[in-house]
Amino acid sequence: MNPSKRQHWIGVLARARLSELQPHEAALRDVDYQLIRAPEIGMTLVRGRMGGNGAAFNVGEMSVTRCVVRLADGRTGYSYLAGRDKVHAELAALADAHLQGAQPSIWLSDLILSLANAQAERRAQKEADTAATKVEFFTLVRGEN
Amino acid sequence: MNAQLLQPAFVDPVLDAQRGFRAALKALAEPGLIQHLPSAPRLDGLAPATYALCLALLDVDTPLWLAPSFDTPLIRANLAFHCGCPLTARREEAAFALLGGPDLLDLGGFDHGNDRYPDQSCTLLVQLTDLEAGRGLSWRGPGIKDQRQVNLPVPQVFWLERQRREAFPRGLDVLFAAGHHLIGLPRSTRIAEERA
Repeated sequence: MNPSKRQHWIGVLARARLSELQPHEAALRDVDYQLIRAPEIGMTLVRGRMGGNGAAFNVGEMSVTRCVVRLADGRTGYSYLAGRDKVHAELAALADAHLQGAQPSIWLSDLILSLANAQAERRAQKEADTAATKVEFFTLVRGEN
Repeated sequence: MNAQLLQPAFVDPVLDAQRGFRAALKALAEPGLIQHLPSAPRLDGLAPATYALCLALLDVDTPLWLAPSFDTPLIRANLAFHCGCPLTARREEAAFALLGGPDLLDLGGFDHGNDRYPDQSCTLLVQLTDLEAGRGLSWRGPGIKDQRQVNLPVPQVFWLERQRREAFPRGLDVLFAAGHHLIGLPRSTRIAEERA
């Protein structure tokens, strides 16, 4: 499945760290907006499939924070993110609202691109660390015969 | 769903929902006594008390039947967003129903529960313009010491419709709302004409 542009930036905002969003806080909050759904913390059930295609089973519950804001011009921004960070949820929802505006390219280049790069870097680092621990198992002689 | 139509609901979702629930409980525990809901949000077409009841009582497990007068895109969008309740066009599926004064002429189709599970009946939320402008009737029953005079402005037919559907423990519970106030009418309350 190919995620839409909006799916992509909402995902990037949800995975971002609060410390990466905070430099943009002043710009994000520099509009008239109201909270349609003030940031709230809840629980959601995570389900998984063994191997990605087996029968669904419940992995466990995780805490989720969500928020919906509306700017004065009617644009509505949503955010759902893992964890309990209400400030992060509000900033992410504001960013989603700004990105739906007439000039999303500024926000895309300023904010989303740098966040996505930082995330790709962290992920590559983690993958490299994990790859170093990989163990290959060989069967030299089988027991039969 | 049109995001443009969404409006903020409770200022304090947890405590305001608890206040709404408490008011509904008190209204049904003391039938006919007016309960006050000061901190209710507003939404075009819904009185604050009606909206507060919806926000406090409805969720994904409670299908709601909307009378045509309340079936506006604004109300649909906000109830779907804040309550997440499914809307149903079939009265018999509804756990709650939202009605206006004129809809009280016909109460057919709503679920009355059954003898084993009378609690599964449909609860009617009725929005009126006023709670005290009608003919005085005397209410008796559980929650009322002797009798209580209540002046609900509802059509005479409603009382007949209600009586026809009473087969205790089955029956319909009603919450009347107007402005910031509400009155409860559980199935156990008996109604008599006020003697002049």
